[in-house]
Amino acid sequence: MAAPERERMLVSRIEEGTVIDHIPDWRADTVSRVLRLDKLARMQADVSVVILQNVTSEHLGRKDIIKIDSWHVDERDADILCLVFPEITVNYIDEGKVSKYSPKVPDTIEGRVRCPELNCISNTEREPVVSRFVTLKEERLLQCQYCDTLLGFEKVPDHVRT
Amino acid sequence: MMAPNLDFLGRDVVSARDFKRDQFEKVLHAVDDLESNRGSLDGALRGKLAALLFFEPSTRTYSSFQIAAEKLGMRVSGFAGPTGSSITKGETLHDTVRMFEGYGADVFIIRHSKMGAARFAAENTDVPVISAGDGSREHPTQAMVDLYAIHKAFGRIDGLKVGMLGDLRYGRTSSSLAYALSNFDVEITFIAPEALQMRPEVSQFLKQRGVTPRTERALKDVAAGLDVLYVTRIQKERIPDPTEYEKVKGMYEVNLESLKDAKPSLKVLHPLPRVDELSTDIDETNYAQYFVQAAGGLPLRMVLLNLILGGRR
Repeated sequence: MAAPERERMLVSRIEEGTVIDHIPDWRADTVSRVLRLDKLARMQADVSVVILQNVTSEHLGRKDIIKIDSWHVDERDADILCLVFPEITVNYIDEGKVSKYSPKVPDTIEGRVRCPELNCISNTEREPVVSRFVTLKEERLLQCQYCDTLLGFEKVPDHVRT
Repeated sequence: MMAPNLDFLGRDVVSARDFKRDQFEKVLHAVDDLESNRGSLDGALRGKLAALLFFEPSTRTYSSFQIAAEKLGMRVSGFAGPTGSSITKGETLHDTVRMFEGYGADVFIIRHSKMGAARFAAENTDVPVISAGDGSREHPTQAMVDLYAIHKAFGRIDGLKVGMLGDLRYGRTSSSLAYALSNFDVEITFIAPEALQMRPEVSQFLKQRGVTPRTERALKDVAAGLDVLYVTRIQKERIPDPTEYEKVKGMYEVNLESLKDAKPSLKVLHPLPRVDELSTDIDETNYAQYFVQAAGGLPLRMVLLNLILGGRR
């Protein structure tokens, strides 16, 4: 049996949920971190997650796929993923029908990313403050709107709020 | 009566990045007018209330704002440091600002140890907020004071070669001054050990403005070409390796010996207080501009408060 056919048999279709496709190979753990999939486990939510790694891809050669049953990933989280993995695609499945979402680099990101500058006011626990970044798309940087600190797109997963 | 200046009326001063050349010039010329007695601002803001919220101790910034407000006829309230205020009980910046807004503050002047604190405060009140320094990020009114000292010494800012020396990474006055200078046709040289060179966001902003500063490790390599030398202190605790600190500190001490090749017209600025990075040898020479610079803090802050609160023109 050819490899793609073997891989197809690994996981069956889902009727409700999200499929995140075109993740670069062996990077599913980063996607999982950005989407805070561990939070689902902490919430003991009734969802199943399947992570496929290093499967054959026409476009990428090899890729990872994440299937989340009974859970729709927030589009804003998908947009954050796009900062690191611009090729990524998100398929929402409702009653077996697939609708594609192409994540886009957002103009601003609020609340989801922590400022890397520990002395930033947005990292002060007792103040009612929400972190806010604007994206400098050409430079592939986020800039904190409080302290102006820069954060490279590739480092964003390390600073996602958990 | 002329209309109030809409560029400044009711606006926050939380970053030198937010101001353009003509706005800086407007401030400088208004200070010129005040200094040359072409107009008095005494009593111009009578009846208004300035809330000075200094979450970190300060001597000259606090005093100059306090005296400026009082000369303008304002009432002054607030605190000069965390001791004796409810900050020690853990009151937040947010709540403190809301409380003073309720007491009728017409302007907030805030110093805080956290970077971005002034901007956060400004988001939470309709009253104008002036930053008096936030962490190691910025000190925008000091940058205006510094610009005024340069303007006063040379009658211009364009065409000058400005060296900025010392702890550029954690020094809030240096970043604000670099932002302010990017509006003028100046050559900037950053003189600092690598660990204390300017923060990436400052360099990024300058790049966007088309300004590419030189970076140098030692003063001796550049002293001869400078018109202005802006000195800041290197704090021992900022350099992780103590032996490295001992090695580099001499390279950043300004004295008659380190300025032996400097132009006679060089002006040395320092935001003060100084420790041992700026020798008292310089005080009585023509190089010393730092006391003139410090004195400019009072009229400049009067002018700024007057512009923001729409006082006398």
